Amino acid sequence: MTATPLAAPSGGAAQSSSPPIALVDLLDRLLGTGVVLSGDVLISLAGVDLVEVRLRALIRTAAGEEDGDEYGDEYGDE
Amino acid sequence: MAEQGRYLYAVCRSLDIAALDGLRGLGDRPVEGVESDGLVGLVSAVDLDEYGEDGLRRNLERLDWLETAARGHDAVVQAAALLAPTAPMRLATIFRDDDGVRRRLGEQAARIHTVLDRVEGHEEWSVKVLTHAAESRPEPVGAGGSGADYLRQRKQEQESRDTGLRDAHLVAERVHDALAALAVATRRLAPQDSRLTGLSGTMVHNAAYLVPRLRSDEFATAVGRAATDNLDVHVDARGPWPPYSFAMLDDQ
Repeated sequence: MTATPLAAPSGGAAQSSSPPIALVDLLDRLLGTGVVLSGDVLISLAGVDLVEVRLRALIRTAAGEEDGDEYGDEYGDE
Repeated sequence: MAEQGRYLYAVCRSLDIAALDGLRGLGDRPVEGVESDGLVGLVSAVDLDEYGEDGLRRNLERLDWLETAARGHDAVVQAAALLAPTAPMRLATIFRDDDGVRRRLGEQAARIHTVLDRVEGHEEWSVKVLTHAAESRPEPVGAGGSGADYLRQRKQEQESRDTGLRDAHLVAERVHDALAALAVATRRLAPQDSRLTGLSGTMVHNAAYLVPRLRSDEFATAVGRAATDNLDVHVDARGPWPPYSFAMLDDQ
């Protein structure tokens, strides 16, 4: 097997032509990381664990999984 | 007109607000800068019918809406990251007005600057390792084989899959170590299901790497080497991206 070609095979030069981030990767990041500001924020997904759980269920459904049991359970820093 | 809020995409510093001219956010609304303490929050107006608490609860059930929001958010973050050090916000951070944004940026300025110190001059790369070793091969038991033969064969297949998966994890750790040596930070993510990614095989490694922009070439070369040195697995590398996985406040 081979490596998936990088967006910029010769390294970083072709940034503007990078393909879009896959939705699953984008949502992993936009829902799992990113700066969280609470306080006088009107709406924030921070701490709304249920929202995230429901989102993941939704994504799984859309992906045609019958029952999702392994996706998005754990995030760990290293 | 529906009541509006201010959607905050990201916080930048050393950003020339004039450079935002023409940048459009969610709903094709213009992106504006809100300044405080050397920071610039990138905001645009959103209708609270759609982005208020009730609207969000309703809309987050719709994958098409979610994708549009995520893509719109990402487009602003990507544009900003080309201009200045950028800390992306989590999806759907909405304030009542710009004063609220300004106040919050002021209160959290030191911590946001710490995040920006970490990501400035860096980009995120995603690297996944996949293996086919865990898949069962259709090997029908030979005609005339006894039940015991069949069970023995099944057991051997299972053991072979277990070994293959274990080996793939070891390979993934080697790949990770080699790439982590070029990164200033790494973050492991949960392996993704192939039905979500469209990538075939079992994902044994999914991680984000924060790499100095000046080392992009070196990182890409190392990824290529990891792939050619480990032909029994598939190395899927994507990037460079804005530093999403590393824009976290310290106690977050």
